[in-house]
Amino acid sequence: MKLVAPVSRHDEVEMLAAAGADELYCGVVPREWVDRFGTFGVNRRLFSNLKDLETLARVIDTAHELGRSVSLTLNAQHYAEEMTGALVDLAGRHAELGGDAVIVSDPVVVQEVARQVREVRVHVSSLASCHNTETARFCKELGARRIILPRHVTLAEIREMSSAVPEIELEVFGLNEGCVYEEGACHSIHLPVRLGGAICEGGYEVQHVREDGCDLTPGETEAFVVNERAYRDWVEHRFGCRLSLTELPFGPCGLCALPFLAGCGVVAVKVVGRGAPTPRKVKSTALVAAIRDEVGRRSDADVKRLARAVRKRSNLCDDGFMCYYPDGR
Amino acid sequence: MDFALSVCMIRNLPSALQLGEVVARIHFGNEFCERLVPTTRELEAAIEQTRDAGKAISLLTPMASDRTLRRLRGLFEILPDGAEVVANEWGALRLLAREFPLLAPVAGRRLCRMIKDPRLPSPDWTRLTPHGVYSGRFLDLLSTFGVRRIEVDVPPFASAADLRASSMKLSVHAPYGYVASGRICRIGSTGLGRGEKFVTAHACAKECLSYVSGMTRPEAAPGADLCTFHRGNTLFYRHSVEMAHALVDAIDAAAVDRLVIPRDWHEARRTG
Repeated sequence: MKLVAPVSRHDEVEMLAAAGADELYCGVVPREWVDRFGTFGVNRRLFSNLKDLETLARVIDTAHELGRSVSLTLNAQHYAEEMTGALVDLAGRHAELGGDAVIVSDPVVVQEVARQVREVRVHVSSLASCHNTETARFCKELGARRIILPRHVTLAEIREMSSAVPEIELEVFGLNEGCVYEEGACHSIHLPVRLGGAICEGGYEVQHVREDGCDLTPGETEAFVVNERAYRDWVEHRFGCRLSLTELPFGPCGLCALPFLAGCGVVAVKVVGRGAPTPRKVKSTALVAAIRDEVGRRSDADVKRLARAVRKRSNLCDDGFMCYYPDGR
Repeated sequence: MDFALSVCMIRNLPSALQLGEVVARIHFGNEFCERLVPTTRELEAAIEQTRDAGKAISLLTPMASDRTLRRLRGLFEILPDGAEVVANEWGALRLLAREFPLLAPVAGRRLCRMIKDPRLPSPDWTRLTPHGVYSGRFLDLLSTFGVRRIEVDVPPFASAADLRASSMKLSVHAPYGYVASGRICRIGSTGLGRGEKFVTAHACAKECLSYVSGMTRPEAAPGADLCTFHRGNTLFYRHSVEMAHALVDAIDAAAVDRLVIPRDWHEARRTG
């Protein structure tokens, strides 16, 4: 199983490769894009992109020297019509620089890049929300080679898609940065903190009302209070963008599911967080690599135990609040 | 232009059908939650009641796992020829095109993506992330699946470019738009133990049919946000006066072919 890690600076390439990354993914917003469209929206991140195309070229060269591949993200929530050609051009530029793949969210862009830039593989972004075999086949028909599955899929669903559509590769989330909603069905903007930040991060107060117009009973009120408390705890662990006391990443995790996923034929596992500090990226990558490397060497049960042990948060493994694949607990 | 009422629960269908000839069509089902996909019996009843009332029917479908797609396939089999199916993901469209060519697929608002953040302080933010709902290539791709109609929300700071005529007929939802939806349901986890809460495809007691959740941001300036609420797994906003005006302008310009109005899954419904 390949390990896919995020890179936002050239000097991270060697560190991430040494930590166990097989593939790197990154974004770049060319100056001509900003000049032409007046936006940074080439991909999902307004920040955390490589500085420029020259840096992308250096990242590709260094990665290739180390035997690693590089994918470029073209996965904004959506694009204006006139941007499609520019995205195809950017994919072509990536190919000219030696880049290996592009990560694309928009089906029209998937189709156009697959048709016009045959030198790069097209990976469908998680933002495309592929949740079933019919959608997987649709992606394949568009020309995609790999699908990055959304965060909120069960292991059983992954197994069914992998089994039914073996001709397309599947990549899954392995560590860090969760979402509360379905990424491809969230039409908000991650605003600056002073304007509210991510819409799901808990800035709202909630008032539950009965549809029949009656007041909530004391039992209902208590149940909602308990649920809201648990919800805020869960959301906090969706956004575990910190280091724990053990200095290991403390966000959503799918490590204990790696044996199952590898057994399903999933080809790649992803570490999330282009915007994270370099030490966090490196530690995250090393953590996933340490577990991934044991798959096949040890029994599945042993790997699962090891994964739980390295997190040192068995309570969060038990309740699933830090878990990408809680059906695998 | 015609009017459609969307009805989530079969028990609310009879009252919707009594609203007279102005309502030409019933959208039955739910666009957001797999747990609210109607049963075969419920859909059969809805088909019969709408037919008897002289209305057309559209089946609403959510984002779907394979398990849900299998349920939907069973529902597609009992729909009458020509019935609409509002698909909210590409897999459902593919299934319809391959196996149910006599049904009329519609691209739902989950496929027609726009920025719809109810907190945005100005339209400058939406300009940073422009949409391509009316782009020729996108509509061409939809048309390969037999789609002839698309559905959209009225986004905050809506302009004529957001609600405009194209090669597709246009349905617009009013007076609410949706911001975000997911497979994990906050209120649907209320009755679950800690280890079962907030898990993909968890069970629920369909709390969303009995409760609605008002959402307010204490840190927002008064009146700065659109009125926001949660129904089940989905966050919605209510149109502002300015957005309503934009919709009226689009109707006056003959860009809108159909208005879709929710009957029983919104902030204001009270049964008592």
